[in-house]
Amino acid sequence: MTLFANLPRWWITVAALVVSAILLSPFYWVLVGSFMTPAELFGGQMSLWPKHFAFQNWSVAVSRLWPHIQNSLLVSAVASVGTLLITAPAAYGLVWRKPRGRRTMMAFMLMTQMLPAIVFVIPLFIVFTKINLVNTLGGLILADMTFTIPFAVIMLSAYVKDLPYELVEAALVDGAGQLRAFLMIVLPMTLPGLITVGVFSFLIPWGDLIFALSLITEASLQPLTLELYKAFGQYGVDWGFLLPGSVLTAIPAVLFVIGASRFIVAGVTRGAIK
Amino acid sequence: MSTKAKISATQDGQSVIEERSRRVPRKARFDVSPYMFILPFVIFCLALLLYPVVYSLTLSFRQATVDTFVSGNMPFNGFTQYQAAVADPVFWRAVVNTVLFAFFSILFQFSIGFLLALFFQANFPLKNFCLALLLIPWVSPVLTAANIFKGLFNEIGPVNQISHLIGLGPFPWLADPAYAFPATIVANIWIGFPFNFILLYAGMRSIPAEVYEAAKIDGARFWKRVAHITLPMLKPVSVAVLTLGTIYTVKVFDLVFIMTGGGPANGTQLLSTYAYQVGFSLLNFGEAAAIATLMVLLVLLLNLVQLLLQRK
Repeated sequence: MTLFANLPRWWITVAALVVSAILLSPFYWVLVGSFMTPAELFGGQMSLWPKHFAFQNWSVAVSRLWPHIQNSLLVSAVASVGTLLITAPAAYGLVWRKPRGRRTMMAFMLMTQMLPAIVFVIPLFIVFTKINLVNTLGGLILADMTFTIPFAVIMLSAYVKDLPYELVEAALVDGAGQLRAFLMIVLPMTLPGLITVGVFSFLIPWGDLIFALSLITEASLQPLTLELYKAFGQYGVDWGFLLPGSVLTAIPAVLFVIGASRFIVAGVTRGAIK
Repeated sequence: MSTKAKISATQDGQSVIEERSRRVPRKARFDVSPYMFILPFVIFCLALLLYPVVYSLTLSFRQATVDTFVSGNMPFNGFTQYQAAVADPVFWRAVVNTVLFAFFSILFQFSIGFLLALFFQANFPLKNFCLALLLIPWVSPVLTAANIFKGLFNEIGPVNQISHLIGLGPFPWLADPAYAFPATIVANIWIGFPFNFILLYAGMRSIPAEVYEAAKIDGARFWKRVAHITLPMLKPVSVAVLTLGTIYTVKVFDLVFIMTGGGPANGTQLLSTYAYQVGFSLLNFGEAAAIATLMVLLVLLLNLVQLLLQRK
């Protein structure tokens, strides 16, 4: 059912592009603004295009952020892989192998989605201080995984549930062990789900601020988000650094969405509705 | 394995019986293999999810301030932290702000998402491209959105520049509580509308076309069909979207922390930013944990209210 059944289809495309452009205009501002000098950016008159491209904004931001980008890449990649390694077998085990207590576990996973970050931040800060995990990337990865694991299990369970289980059974009858059946059948068949979950388990740590803020005070270990947050200084905001840095921070998300939109749309709707 | 068993079965009947009698109790016995699959997950959950949750809860009944934290002995003192929390007017300001923030965010996120979803029911070239583009505000880090809106709402930023063009303003967007609060809500609507859009879009697609066709034949106009078919048939999805929306919105932290830090004069203080401030600026972990517990109760309460409203 559509409102514009009688319109030429390309007209609808134009309308959709206009709507998208309006809704995404804040991105236009940050992208164009990242090439402006602060004087032009907030200089009384609105400018829609930089008069002189201030490329130095970008070169300064990139060289300052590069070590922190490396930290973020490492943390996000390890958290993402770790999440998949833990939750892919778990989703299969919980859904099809039916261990005792699985309902309680799933209910607990759903419950953790309701809890504000502070519920985890304070205990992890105290406990990690005691066992010397504060100011380590390992500690930050574990902390970030408290966000990714519940979400990943909920989402992957929905995918595993959709799997035709007869295929797994057939493999088991043919003499494959549980592990083999899991590796050769369950994993390939849930690949779209694994990709979606992997992407989100990368993006969540990548954008995290609250754990980094409370766990990492050692400057050389700070992730991208925390270094960028320093643009808000005591004497005002360093816009020439903040704007290119903000664009840089958004790049993985933009790339992933464009690259994997098919999986993501299917994955998001599946995980949330089921 | 299975071929071997077959061979022995053809050789003599005795071994078949043995094979079976050995197999039956094996199945009845405790099957360890499911637990192998979930073991790492269970360990993670116990150590890094359940333990912190329980820790946070017990911490809220302990005096955990700088002194006791350093000495490592955090004495239990009952509901003292809760009493201190609710005695502070800032806490109640944060409660009211959190509820209003959630209400207005969800109202607009849902409406925008609904209209977009309706629009995208049409099939047109580049649809999936537009769909992917519209997801970007939601998947990109909240920090990016917060930085952008901090700039847009700057005293001499684009929002004031545009309002100047039409002869309004300038408005003290982030400097005055009366303006800063709506500014943070606008930013949050922008972050959250794609999530509502995408779920409602998928929900609408699953409504069978025949239902609409029947209504069309009956001569029902477009908006009438929306009101009498789309909305009621979309109810399960809408309920899911609104419930998740409430949960996510009450949790919002980064956005307000970056845009205003809860200020000016606690005008944008949410429970999340307030709890963080009490914990990490005032170093009163016990009271912060108590506020966190109260936050969870608020989420439950809001969802309950929603559930009751939806029943009607």
